[in-house]
Amino acid sequence: MEFYAKFLQTLIQWQYQLNSFISTNIRSLNDENSLSTSFLILGIAFTYGLVHAIGPGHGKALVALYFTSNKSDYKKAFKMGYMIAIIHALSALIFTFGIFLILKTMFRKNFNEFSEMAMQISAVMIIGVGIYLIYEAFSGRKHKEKHLKKSSKSEVAVAFSAGIVPCPGVMTIVLFCVVLGQYTLGILSAIAMSIGMGLTISVAGILSIAFGRKTNGLLNKKAYILEMIGGFLVLSLGIILFIA
Amino acid sequence: MKSIFTLFLLISSVFAHPHTFIEVYPSIEVEKSKFSTIHFKWVLDEMTSTILIMELDSNANGKIDKKENDYIEKEYFSMFKPYSYYTYVKIDKKVVPFKPENFKATIENHRLCYSFDIYGNYGIKNTIFEFGDSDFYVAMVLKDEFVTIKGSSAKVSGVDNDFYYGYKLEFK
Repeated sequence: MEFYAKFLQTLIQWQYQLNSFISTNIRSLNDENSLSTSFLILGIAFTYGLVHAIGPGHGKALVALYFTSNKSDYKKAFKMGYMIAIIHALSALIFTFGIFLILKTMFRKNFNEFSEMAMQISAVMIIGVGIYLIYEAFSGRKHKEKHLKKSSKSEVAVAFSAGIVPCPGVMTIVLFCVVLGQYTLGILSAIAMSIGMGLTISVAGILSIAFGRKTNGLLNKKAYILEMIGGFLVLSLGIILFIA
Repeated sequence: MKSIFTLFLLISSVFAHPHTFIEVYPSIEVEKSKFSTIHFKWVLDEMTSTILIMELDSNANGKIDKKENDYIEKEYFSMFKPYSYYTYVKIDKKVVPFKPENFKATIENHRLCYSFDIYGNYGIKNTIFEFGDSDFYVAMVLKDEFVTIKGSSAKVSGVDNDFYYGYKLEFK
């Protein structure tokens, strides 16, 4: 685990520095330097999102498991990463502004409650996706082509399951901007950060497709077994998240 | 099988990853190889601080008054109790429970700070302070330059806790 610990430490250090850099720059915004500083903040927010999503979470496992069990091309993984990122950004913005505008005070506590609720919804959706994948693998084991067409439907479900939980990191930036009266910058930062996260999630999907292509060569005729295992893993992930 | 289990443990235990960064500033005094003062100051990152200050500095006077301090201690600081306040006192590698005393919240340079003392008649030999959040939601940050020690010297190093990363302070 030594390598993993070093990896975590590096990720934490980067995020610690990026977090501090963003907050200092947002606070230092004034009329004279607003444009260049705003672009700098958005660039840093993108990098922050990219690094932030390398850490555990953000649906990478779900995307990876999904693509291991479903034959797809890299384009689809890229699309999936960005679908999750868009839903992630929208969910963070809606949650943040909704809670901020409606409740204004005590939002921190409500934020935690809403966050938990979103996590539960996400877990139930992941369980649903798992069951769907198992069903598809089972029913499509003799009709591969039909199966391939059907599985594209579940991609939106996977993106929703992974993206609906708003990222507290994005919410923090948005709230920080809102408190300082920088509404537009808050929204743009959330988008920039989500684009960064989308790229990382896409890479997770692409890697698992590359892995799947190698293993599928070995299994070929029995590919549905791998698909079923993937479905069971997604289902187990949903159950674990629901219990946790 | 072990790798799948490890994967799931990873996903479930660290579904969250650091969203809040807390710098730890220990001020420690040693007399006759025992701790006479153990004081910790946490400095929360600016983003988290700004959001919390908006709520916790209820009269918005830029400082934490007595009433606000009591509220923060009761409603916020006490929430860290199940997490051992992200602080582990280890004697001979065993975790020793403690109760933080003299809690004080302040605002310094737009950052929210929590300070507290630990009273314990610990000897410096075989005592280690560790800092970290096993849920990985908070990243505790400890650097050599954050540490003030009188009457002894100490070393800051990282700790590999399998699923999260922490820091430790060891005395010489």
